[in-house]
Amino acid sequence: MTDTRLRLTILGGYLGSGKTTWLRHQLHVGAFGSQVHVVVNEAAEVPVDDVLLIGAEGMTLLAGGCCCCAGRDDLIAALRGLCDARSRLSADQPRLQRIVLETSGLADPGAIVAAIQGDPVLINHIVVDETIVAVDALHALAQLATEPLGRRQVGAADRLVLTKTDACETSALDTLRATLATLNGHATMSAAVLGEPMSLPPLSSDVGPFALPALSDEDARGPIQPTQVAIPDGMDWSAFTLWLSALLHARGEDLVRVKGVVRTPAGRLLLQTVRKVVQSPEILPEREDGKGDDSNDNRIVFIGRGYRPPDLARSLNRFLGLPPPKPQ
Amino acid sequence: MCNACGNPAAPGHWTEAGAASPGDRLRARFHRAALLNSVLKPYGLTAHDGGVVPGIQLGTLSGAQTIVHNLEEVWDEAARLAGQPIDPLDPRYLGDD
Repeated sequence: MTDTRLRLTILGGYLGSGKTTWLRHQLHVGAFGSQVHVVVNEAAEVPVDDVLLIGAEGMTLLAGGCCCCAGRDDLIAALRGLCDARSRLSADQPRLQRIVLETSGLADPGAIVAAIQGDPVLINHIVVDETIVAVDALHALAQLATEPLGRRQVGAADRLVLTKTDACETSALDTLRATLATLNGHATMSAAVLGEPMSLPPLSSDVGPFALPALSDEDARGPIQPTQVAIPDGMDWSAFTLWLSALLHARGEDLVRVKGVVRTPAGRLLLQTVRKVVQSPEILPEREDGKGDDSNDNRIVFIGRGYRPPDLARSLNRFLGLPPPKPQ
Repeated sequence: MCNACGNPAAPGHWTEAGAASPGDRLRARFHRAALLNSVLKPYGLTAHDGGVVPGIQLGTLSGAQTIVHNLEEVWDEAARLAGQPIDPLDPRYLGDD
């Protein structure tokens, strides 16, 4: 059965990080396909972005309230409206394929995913496809040093787009890339200048990340760090899901992100969560024998804090009734 | 969605992703309930899924019963009935204490 639900791409990033510029170019070159609707959210009462975005099938502007908090009801209503309009068309007519949501610079993408998954109508119509976060190469380090929101946005990304890289020195850019990798190890990184993709040279290994100071709201829980947990072969998927749901329920505020590919009897499942919300796992195509790299299968990355990293694997093995893992 | 009881509200819980056919799903439900029962036993709780009614039945050893619809509700309700959160990283669960 093919999934005919609408795809939603969330585009986030700090204030002035170049979200609209990047999106405008992507729409111009048709990177999101032709049947795309853009929803733009502005925290301010006076919209400016809407005039910039031409090239989409349609556009909705949500002004006056950030859609992850104050404007959440408006966002849900707007998305429901789009789903309703689409449902009135039969499946063989050309109809909306994708929604791109450009969030305000103050939004936490994780909160938006949670709002959509928590809505009984939207969960049936929309599947969150990808979270793209624009990162201003010139100012991001200063923002990340002082703003917990900036770190949350980076942590929620599947794909980081570094903007304004042409105005940035190579050494500063390398430090930024190394720093972003410590905040979010699984997101892919690319660069763009005015929306035009730029190639990033491979990062040399002697570049160290910028030591981000601890922020007041992450006091005693320590820094956010990634932990890799190997999934035992032939693991019981039901037991694993029980364990993960208990873990997310107890520690969801600390576990910013969980992502990985798990082998199950049904195939390779892509599993990902943002805080307490689990996106419906996607079955990935099976790779041909000997082709492609599936060495990352059966590994799950946990990004979070407030626990001792080795405890994750110990707890999982105990839950599955296996001996404790060997220390790595 | 069932008009009478409003179940299920969402298209398949994420934990059901490994089961493709209705038979597999039912088998997975039974299996999950049995696992859940053994997980909750140390907390003095029982879990049962008959496969007919949507939802999982949680009970205490004193006979209090409640029906919950998904795993998030299971952990909420189990924490309430047991008087403590069910945390897989709890040192007591890991055997550190």
